[in-house]
Amino acid sequence: MRVILESKVRAKPNLPIEAEAIIPRNFLKGTDLLVYEGNKERTLSELFWIFVEGTAVSPENIEVILKGDTSRIKRVGEYMDTGSIVIEGDIGMHCGNFMSGGTIEIRGNADSWLGREMRGGTILCRGNASHYCATGYRGEKKGMQGGKVEVFGSTGDFCAEYLAGGTVHIHGSAGDFPGVEMRGGELIIEGDATRPCGNMKSGSCVILGTVHDMLPTFEKTRQRVLPEWKITADVYKGDVANRGKGTLCVRS
Amino acid sequence: MIIHDVICPFCGCLCDDLELECEGGKIIKVQNGCALAESTFMTDTRLPAPIRRTESGWEEISYNEAIKETAEILQGADRPLLYGWSSTHGEAQSVGVHIAELIGAVIDNTSTVCHGPSILAIQEVGHPGCTLGQVKNRADVIIYWGCNPIEAHPRHMSRYTTYATGFFVPDAQRERTVIVVDTRRTDTAGIADEFVQIEHGGDYAVLSALRAIVRGKASVIPAKVAGVSKEQLIRIAEICKTAKFGAIFFGLGLTMSRGKYKNIRNAIELTDELNRHTKFVISPLRGHGNVYGSNEVFTWMTGYPFAVDFARGIAFYNPGETTAVDILRRGECDAALIVASDPGANFPRAAAAHLAKIPTVVIDPHVNATTALARIHIPCTAAGIDAAGTAYRMDGVPIRLKKVIDRGYPDDAEILKKIYDRLNGGKGP
Ligand code: SF4
Repeated sequence: MRVILESKVRAKPNLPIEAEAIIPRNFLKGTDLLVYEGNKERTLSELFWIFVEGTAVSPENIEVILKGDTSRIKRVGEYMDTGSIVIEGDIGMHCGNFMSGGTIEIRGNADSWLGREMRGGTILCRGNASHYCATGYRGEKKGMQGGKVEVFGSTGDFCAEYLAGGTVHIHGSAGDFPGVEMRGGELIIEGDATRPCGNMKSGSCVILGTVHDMLPTFEKTRQRVLPEWKITADVYKGDVANRGKGTLCVRS
Repeated sequence: MIIHDVICPFCGCLCDDLELECEGGKIIKVQNGCALAESTFMTDTRLPAPIRRTESGWEEISYNEAIKETAEILQGADRPLLYGWSSTHGEAQSVGVHIAELIGAVIDNTSTVCHGPSILAIQEVGHPGCTLGQVKNRADVIIYWGCNPIEAHPRHMSRYTTYATGFFVPDAQRERTVIVVDTRRTDTAGIADEFVQIEHGGDYAVLSALRAIVRGKASVIPAKVAGVSKEQLIRIAEICKTAKFGAIFFGLGLTMSRGKYKNIRNAIELTDELNRHTKFVISPLRGHGNVYGSNEVFTWMTGYPFAVDFARGIAFYNPGETTAVDILRRGECDAALIVASDPGANFPRAAAAHLAKIPTVVIDPHVNATTALARIHIPCTAAGIDAAGTAYRMDGVPIRLKKVIDRGYPDDAEILKKIYDRLNGGKGP
């Protein structure tokens, strides 16, 4: 089954919409869902043109497609566990929060907190992702714990903060402090990064581009060939500011 | 008439030993206070009555009219923003939170542009702090990091640190070692025993290096970190480890420079590490008189210290998303109520500009840069001058502000209560 949601033109286009109701499972019972626009509750049909094609008996066969201006829509795919969501343009904050299964594909850019506290499933972002991509919530001890986030563009600052499990793969560059407070999982940045892995405790990070302002508290241990990336990398242990046992590989 | 033990409401020190001389409803002399205190008590640029913007300029309106129109603006909004709160008392702040909850608004205070990052860091790793009295009586090593108290908190050093005689530090000037860390040589740096000059944005690296050295991992550290020599870092670490009691104070140089809350977190973790050797504490030098109080009031009412979003009826907090600057910059809010602060002067231009595009109401004793962006300005009492109320000092100690004169203005808490009543169909909070 395919559910196509095309955003309607709004009187106040800058108002954020909170739409955690948009997950494939919810469309099994119909399209009668509630979302918030600013401080007002709205029905899905007030904000979207809704088209449904075919039928489905189980949620994994449901595909939700978002079209139009979706850049202010937050929390799409929150707690999603199966099925798929395709966003044709940009998406607002907190897309794929707490996701545990299924796939989200964003053809445009993603705003901050993409895949926050994710546990499983896959997020593909064809454009750029803003700050706090694949991280946790304020003050929480664990960020993303499982699954995969792949960003084909670049990310903003604090990408993969508190990463605890799963894989984050950035094809472009990451901003300041990628992998800060990392305690598990794997972070791959094909482009450049600034001050990577500050205060990391565990986990591993590979950076293929240039590292700016490398922190003074990483201990260079050896060189290693990384066959999957066809490079030789300097291997650092850290962060020695704490008792960190993380691994940071930077192209030699 | 001379009034003793007056509290200065200007900065987070909330000095409680001022003497004011009043005559005929006017303050004519301020004693014991610093220059900032003097201008706080002596200058008064209050409007005689509320004003409203019209096509041709400003017109005076009655308080009732101003309150009615403010309530209408807030009632009709889909994403109202209530911002400010740091220069008024807790009584007004609490009514503000009630209004936010009632109408589904975002309420934020000035921590957003000062010590919000400190709060984020404290939420991650806790706050090893103490009251200023402890520092005064015990601390023999003082570190000022990214702050310039001589200019911003003029009496901090004389009341609590460098020049203050303490119970266990009777000869303060000789017994206290003062370390100043900054990117430029400030006035405060001039009186330091040890001045550490860091390259711009290098605080995080220097803090990490110090942590590693205190942990006995000096061998990893390169010869220079962000412009600071390894020898100096080792010397500083040694001074800290051998202190009897150390206190770190930090300001906007650390919270608002590159890395923001990660800098503070690193400083807290350095403090943590030092506590394996001796007693060490860390505290933010809070700016506005009662900004700490706004954090306290917001927290006991909503669970969160700033940037609280009630859009969905429950409190949600996420700085970067629900902070006033970000909401304005994204052009989200469609009405704003600004109380006891001046975002027109302190916010980034793009954020402040949005205030002029939406109906903005200012409740503040004084005309300020935000008035120029507003639709209505309602003058009120100034907490600590012509209104009494509770404020919190920078170390979390609540202090009762005094009413020293009466100038005939209504209290901002009263104005806010009337707005609440209108929004709630006549029923008070
Ligand atoms: S240090 Fe601050 S509180 Fe004390 S008198 Fe000066 S301005 Fe007022």
